Amino acid sequence: MSDNLARVAGSDFGGLDAASQHDRERRHIEIVASPGLRRARPRVFYALTALAGMGAIVVAQLLLSVGISQGAYELSSLQDERVELGRTADSVSQDVVRVSSPQSLAANAEALGMVSNSNPVYLRLSDGAVLGAPVSASGPAGKTAALVPNALLTGMPLVTELPPPAATPASTPGTGVAGAQPATASVVSPVASAPVAAPVHSGLPSPTTR
Amino acid sequence: MASTRTTHRRRVVVTVMVLFAIIAVFVVKLVDIQVVRAETLNADALGNRSVEDEIYGSRGDILASDGTVLAGTVMRYNITMSPKRAVKFTRTTDSGTESVSVAQAAAEIGGHTGQTPEAILAIIASALADNPDSDFAYVAKQVDVDVFRAVQALDIPWIYFKKTPSRVYPNGAVAGNLVGFVSSEGEAQAGLELDQDACVASANGMRTYERGGDGVPIPGSSVTISEATDGGDVITTIDPDLQWFVQQVLAEQAQATGAAWGTVVVQEAKTGRLLAVADYPSVDPNNVNGTENADDRGSRAFTASFEPGSTFKALTAAAVIDAGLATPGSKIVAPFRYLPENGANINDSSGHGDENLTLTGVLIESSNTGMSKFGEMLDDRQRYDYMTKFGVGTATEAAFPSEDTGILHPWEEWDNQTQYATMFGQGLTTTALQVASIYQAIGNQGVRMPVQLVAGCRQADGTIVNQPSAEGTQVVNADAARSTAQMLEMVYQQGWLADTWKIPGYRVAAKTGTAQMPDGNGGYSRGYLVSVSGFAPADDAQFVVSVSLADPVKMNSSAASAPVFQKVMSQVLKKYRAVPSGAPAPALPATW
Repeated sequence: MSDNLARVAGSDFGGLDAASQHDRERRHIEIVASPGLRRARPRVFYALTALAGMGAIVVAQLLLSVGISQGAYELSSLQDERVELGRTADSVSQDVVRVSSPQSLAANAEALGMVSNSNPVYLRLSDGAVLGAPVSASGPAGKTAALVPNALLTGMPLVTELPPPAATPASTPGTGVAGAQPATASVVSPVASAPVAAPVHSGLPSPTTR
Repeated sequence: MASTRTTHRRRVVVTVMVLFAIIAVFVVKLVDIQVVRAETLNADALGNRSVEDEIYGSRGDILASDGTVLAGTVMRYNITMSPKRAVKFTRTTDSGTESVSVAQAAAEIGGHTGQTPEAILAIIASALADNPDSDFAYVAKQVDVDVFRAVQALDIPWIYFKKTPSRVYPNGAVAGNLVGFVSSEGEAQAGLELDQDACVASANGMRTYERGGDGVPIPGSSVTISEATDGGDVITTIDPDLQWFVQQVLAEQAQATGAAWGTVVVQEAKTGRLLAVADYPSVDPNNVNGTENADDRGSRAFTASFEPGSTFKALTAAAVIDAGLATPGSKIVAPFRYLPENGANINDSSGHGDENLTLTGVLIESSNTGMSKFGEMLDDRQRYDYMTKFGVGTATEAAFPSEDTGILHPWEEWDNQTQYATMFGQGLTTTALQVASIYQAIGNQGVRMPVQLVAGCRQADGTIVNQPSAEGTQVVNADAARSTAQMLEMVYQQGWLADTWKIPGYRVAAKTGTAQMPDGNGGYSRGYLVSVSGFAPADDAQFVVSVSLADPVKMNSSAASAPVFQKVMSQVLKKYRAVPSGAPAPALPATW
């Protein structure tokens, strides 16, 4: 802007002598027109370098952000998977805790024909002495009423009420993520497929003490 | 020429001014956006993209002594819906697309949640009746993962889910009386949940993240505003298997005898730790409403006090021996009716002539008159001091919520009858815990240990804080305690219930009690509170068992509680592998 003003003002001054006018023109030409100098600069090379650099930066930036975004999707899906696996683990471990509650153990033991003996007797190994007075167990004749309730066990079958192993569809542990299937099945099936459970279904012989 | 110059200058000035004006406008706007309104605009911008996410802190567990979880936290899901958007929708499945009506969707949801389709449709209808623009209603609360997944798989667009941490009690009613429960909003309501709330309480945290148009979080945008803190774990002294057994036995006998309620306390004699505290009726914390009477949802062993009756005579006997005023063989004559000089009137429960009894004999016969003759050897103040040292009249160290202190009036306020009645367990009240604690002190060489229900609070870093004191107090000297234990062994061997409570192979010390129950109007009701307290093995006590049954209408005597004592004590001795006693109990003369 100031340059503009100066030029306009300069052209309006008429009272300058020729020598100074000439000087001014010479200086002007020397400064502006310097073709040798211009030619010395490899302008195209610089321009290309700069452009290439910018291009590289843009491409790198794009690749990086694509990479990060890809990672974000992967992270997100893995986190979802972890949440699902966590849910499965929670659900299954809740089932384990539930079936290991005293009520469940007692009911199942009784269903298998076990009777509790409240008279402790010990055999001392050092001298073979029998400590205590052996008395045969007197179990209840029928099923003991479950007097200590547990609402979590509602609908939970006893081991003797399970379908025979063959009828249980083979569920492989590890597919738990797909676990829309009821978790109870995956907990109970190992019990049902265990070899000891086979005679259970057909019924154990009742102990003579009953 | 001059006019041209002027025009030029004017044009320049105008240009400059316009330029400055434009720049000024930009600057003002820039400052306005970047400085003045920066915060609001930033927040708005972030709000369009960012999502707040609550991080749930987990309420701590309540654990049994062996680490069994008595109360734990699980994630449950509330199924909610937008009633105004509950319309027919199109579902895409592998086999193509199908149109699903609201009724059909309701039937599908109900199939998983156990509700009838009508019930779900009624929820929609009532929500819309209240507010035609209703955007929120609960379909089902606190469903588990399996139901959540099943309903989620239905892919119904107007159904939403909300995580809600919830409390679960894997062992049901086992120790439900002690553990207590929380409300559906997660507020502690009773028992240890309430008492130990400071230990188990958690705090939820909050984080925000930004997400793109497809809902995926933008990397690096997650900001945690506050961290969630998990609660600590309460470690109790309860043995869950034993607790179950005791509750089962108590409930069987209470039902068989028609008792209104009953309690059993099992305590370690040497440490004061409570292994089991059973109540009947009791509560399953998973189903609190299943126990109708709110009084049945706590632990009467801590909160209900009663006149202990004859079980209290062991305390008087120990006190008299400790003071050096009597021995197990000291002789008195016990009449049916005894009229002391102060004007009291003492009589035994059944008529008899004068009997020549030793102190041992007084305990075996459970003679009130005989015990009065020994008790009056101490003055009121001395006996009051012994009682307070045994823990009568103060709540136990377990500090259970709403624990009863029992009633022990200061000795100066005792009237003539009370002066004598307090010798054999009337005129004062105790909780079942206090009675157990008296027998614990007698069994443990006269050293009373603090009653322990909670062993400590285990914090997230594994350190255990709030460990209770384990320092005992010598209440009576060891010889007096041993003599009392030997006398109680004679009671066990020769008392009228000897056959009922016999545990082969072990030496046991025990005493029965039968006390009238208050009717709530200052008088006595017709019902009795029958109890048995004792410890085993008698020569080296390890376990104290105290059984109380209130008003067993079908068998109104201690014979109702004796079988419970026998079964529980056998189970404890068996479970903890107590070695059967070798030498027989020393025989002490009961008469002279």
